[in-house]
Amino acid sequence: MNLYLSQVMAIIRKDFVTEFKTRELFSSMFVFAVLVMLIFIFSINLSVVKANQVGPGVLWVAILFAGTLGLNRSFTLEKENGCLQGLMLAPVDRSAIFFGKMLSNLAFLLIMEAFLLPVFMIFFNVELGSHWAPLLAVILMGTLGFSALGTLLSSLSSNLKTREIMLPILLYPLMVPIAIGSVRLTGQILDGKSLADMMNWVGLILCFDIIFISASIMTIDHILEE
Amino acid sequence: MSDASQETDSPGYGLMGLAGAGILAAMGAIFIYVPTEKTEGVVQRIMYFHVPSAWIAFFAFFIVFLCSILYLWKKEREWDIYAHASAEIGIVFCSLVLITGPLWAKPIWGVWWVWDARLTSTLVLWLIYVAYLMLRGQSEAGSTRAKYAAVIGIVGFLDIPLIHFSVLWWRTFHPDPKFITTQGLGTGNDASMNITLLVAVGAFTLLYFLLMSLRVRLERMKDEIDRIKKERLYSH
Repeated sequence: MNLYLSQVMAIIRKDFVTEFKTRELFSSMFVFAVLVMLIFIFSINLSVVKANQVGPGVLWVAILFAGTLGLNRSFTLEKENGCLQGLMLAPVDRSAIFFGKMLSNLAFLLIMEAFLLPVFMIFFNVELGSHWAPLLAVILMGTLGFSALGTLLSSLSSNLKTREIMLPILLYPLMVPIAIGSVRLTGQILDGKSLADMMNWVGLILCFDIIFISASIMTIDHILEE
Repeated sequence: MSDASQETDSPGYGLMGLAGAGILAAMGAIFIYVPTEKTEGVVQRIMYFHVPSAWIAFFAFFIVFLCSILYLWKKEREWDIYAHASAEIGIVFCSLVLITGPLWAKPIWGVWWVWDARLTSTLVLWLIYVAYLMLRGQSEAGSTRAKYAAVIGIVGFLDIPLIHFSVLWWRTFHPDPKFITTQGLGTGNDASMNITLLVAVGAFTLLYFLLMSLRVRLERMKDEIDRIKKERLYSH
């Protein structure tokens, strides 16, 4: 078990080292997310609708779109210079590769969200400080589900000729439960409700996380082959 | 090899006759036998196409799920063919659901579309399997394509209950199911309507199996042609 954990950690460390060297992924994800928010602010009239009602939707769309950029890079980067070949030749379990990639995608997204939330707070003029704990829980759950399914589909689509197009087409319809659930939960939290009142949504998102992490572990062997 | 090709050449006339008779019976029941509904009028008859199509779409996607699991387990081309054929038929019937629904909704609800739970989940389902077929179209034939498609076939079906609940809690206006109710089977409708619906569902199910057998035959023929082509290519 210890060996398995260190293998997963090694893959995460590798991704972070690559990112510190190239510095192309994180900045582009963050700038893209801010741009998505900006475009939404132009397209909705904030003097008519309440920021609490449209804000969560805009925040999550920005996260999902920027996350797709990151996921697209995640395995394409491995394909360059035969990096994935090397990973698969290494004597590690395929699920360790999956967990490593998933957790590094999750970490990148969470760091980006940490920078994005203050921007969101300023642009939409909403108060996040008083309910940061439930908000953090929702963001963690939602992003976990997104990275789990996203990493699986990214490993699959990176082998296609039209990978940048196919990833969102495959990913977004499957992400509907996370998208609706997270937006709903975030909206309710901004309205000052507690998570205990919305346990059905919490349960749904947790189910999504568990189902797709286990489905990925079971099917990743078939994708990372050859 | 000649035995196998003989087998693929014989069309299922029995099934074809059965499905044809079923469709004729369903048409008779829908347009002649069943009386016009009192409040909704003649437009209600579209329900006898809408509900069976929805049933076939879900059934077809369930077959995709089963065949995808069997493919990843056994790695036999046969299961890949079944999954592919079933997904195509499922998309056809799912599109029929999405077309017949608004045709009924316009006169009854006054709008083509509302963001109701069942409408939304059917649309999302349609998008998932369109993506599935696009993935098949984008990758080279072979075991890699079959594996990728199988993964999407499994993941897509596992997502259906989650999508269902998420859009259900989001909002819903769809008429409650009339046939399968909490009081038991067939208590919500008039008896003649239930019979007609059952005949239509039966006919559509036969049609599904007929289309499946034709599509599977077509795919096997393609394989056979590929095999012959390769044989000729390397024999020179």
